[in-house]
Amino acid sequence: MAFFFQELVNGLTTGALYALVALGFSMVYGVLKLLNFAHGDLYMVGAFIGYFVIQWFGGPKGLTIPVPLLLLTMFVLAAVLVGGLGVAIERFAYRPLRNAPRIAPLITAIGISFFLENAALLLFGAQYRVYNTPDFISASSGITIGSVTIDSLQITVLVLGIALMLGLRQLVSRTKLGRQMRAVAADREAAEMLGINVNLTIALTFFIGSALAGVAGVMAGLLFNQVSNTIGFTAGLKAFTAAVVGGIGSLPGAVLGGLLIGLAESFIIGYVSSLYANLLVFGLLIAVMLVRPSGLLGQAQLQKV
Amino acid sequence: MKGSVIIAATTLGALVVAGCGSTSSGSGASGGTKSCVATIGLEGPFTGPVAPLGQEQLHFAQLALASDNTANHTKISLVQGDTMLNPAQATTVTQQFTSNSKIVAVAGPAGSQEVEAVGPLMARAGLAFISGSATAAVLTTGKYPTFFRVVSKDSVQGPQDARYIIANLHPKALMIVDDQEAYSTGLVSAMLPIFTAAGIKVDHESVSQKTTDFSSLTAKVTSATSVVVLPWQIAANAQQFGRNLAQQHKKAVIFGTDGLFSPGTFTISGSYVSSFGPDITAIPADAAIAAAAKAKYGSFGTFGPPVFAATHVIDEAIASVCKAGHTPSRSNVLAAIRKTSEPTSILGQPISFDSHGDVVNGKFFLFKISSAGKYQLIPG
Repeated sequence: MAFFFQELVNGLTTGALYALVALGFSMVYGVLKLLNFAHGDLYMVGAFIGYFVIQWFGGPKGLTIPVPLLLLTMFVLAAVLVGGLGVAIERFAYRPLRNAPRIAPLITAIGISFFLENAALLLFGAQYRVYNTPDFISASSGITIGSVTIDSLQITVLVLGIALMLGLRQLVSRTKLGRQMRAVAADREAAEMLGINVNLTIALTFFIGSALAGVAGVMAGLLFNQVSNTIGFTAGLKAFTAAVVGGIGSLPGAVLGGLLIGLAESFIIGYVSSLYANLLVFGLLIAVMLVRPSGLLGQAQLQKV
Repeated sequence: MKGSVIIAATTLGALVVAGCGSTSSGSGASGGTKSCVATIGLEGPFTGPVAPLGQEQLHFAQLALASDNTANHTKISLVQGDTMLNPAQATTVTQQFTSNSKIVAVAGPAGSQEVEAVGPLMARAGLAFISGSATAAVLTTGKYPTFFRVVSKDSVQGPQDARYIIANLHPKALMIVDDQEAYSTGLVSAMLPIFTAAGIKVDHESVSQKTTDFSSLTAKVTSATSVVVLPWQIAANAQQFGRNLAQQHKKAVIFGTDGLFSPGTFTISGSYVSSFGPDITAIPADAAIAAAAKAKYGSFGTFGPPVFAATHVIDEAIASVCKAGHTPSRSNVLAAIRKTSEPTSILGQPISFDSHGDVVNGKFFLFKISSAGKYQLIPG
């Protein structure tokens, strides 16, 4: 039973990360109907920002500020800078193509992904950068119940992840900006006629989605301890899968999809074998898509003919 | 008008440059008292997930070339081909190299799977290629007549490591995790039968090189599992694996191979790393090279020095062809590489090749990581 709970905690933690990245993916798709394949690379940029903040404050062994303040700085800076980068990408790469055939921004998104990955290679080099988290947050800190260990980082990721997801839900369902986002997602032209500033709404959507990716990147750096220019690819792929399985465009769906993938991976590795993990996880996801083609919480779109 | 003048001047300039280039190439094709000019290719994963290893290989190839050009009064230049450790990409790069008649030999590629992909192309073009890290045993069975390597092979490393683990770490149960690449699965295949024959309970697992969280896997490490074997190429992944073990209070010892030799990255105390390359910082004769590499490129592991050795073998072969008054053509350089007999090398051992391209008396080196994160060579 302890083994079950250990895998449950592991799965929830990685699932929460996938969910955070998937949320941004799904938000952008909901508003623009754009598959932003550069989203995973924004996560990578966030992870690098976290790394450089640690170095800036003296490195993992010689921190000049308290750990909670360091974490706060990492998360805030990553959110703001990556959010800003997302807005810039939308302004200069996607907005000019807003009325182009849908394949054009899709290819641009892939191009932006390669651009970010290779820019990071040129700027930061090919070597893996290591957060060395255990030097400032003990690997054995946290809660141990029987033989189940939930370390403090896992707790941080879970709590922060849940808080961000709930906050986003409140923002989308209860605020003026949220209503504007939903209006633009439903019908951009009608929203514009109702006086909504569509450009601003889309820019803010990109900011929030990208900021979530940046925060997820820092969480990944703290949890997985390593950063390189290539980490965005897998994260982006998992987030895309999570968003599609949950029902792309649906925010609760993105969370559900992320958690489902995280848990499926964890339990299959634990109870079957890592040899078959991807085979079984993606087999499971194909089965979900066959039963619910629009995703678990997605809604089938009516099309005018 | 102004635009026309600029275009005309640019065209003239380009023609002058091209003319200079062709003159230079012409003189380079001859030997004797004329300057010895040649071009060699370097294939390696300079980008992608194992780019840190590829960049290290590139740096050491550049160091070898600079020092050999000075010592031999040659003008050998290097053309880089990024393979990303991907056989398809390596094939594209090799097609470019084989169709470039200036390239007379190639250092690389890095991975065994890449050698398998490019071997026939290299053979058809009569292009010698020397790898500093491809260790699959199957590569030197005579399939690829222009292939050489300066490191030993899996069929030596796998059994040697397995026997060391059995004799010295005495595990009753162990976990072995491949990283789904030919290099890793090859080593696992070489080790598994030995562990099984010794009566050890083996849990064989597999993760992608892109995986960064191993907590689900480390949860499977039982109290009876005293050793985890990681024949991986990415040291940062092994460091994270060790961290996940510590988080879950697991005491298993990590035993890694080649790619884990990275003193700046993989520092889990009590772990072992077996490597095809020595730690050249511990070889007195290599002090100058090690210092130059560190000053210019920072810390390094064991993937760079073998490529230095491979590049050096090619450079010496070209120099010997020129010295004999012949043109450093592909066939002449290939013949000279076959006759290689370096009494010493950066790897701390002589380099000569057997008839299948394997380095004679190649060996592996075993290190243990101390509590201070230092790599200590285990003699034997």
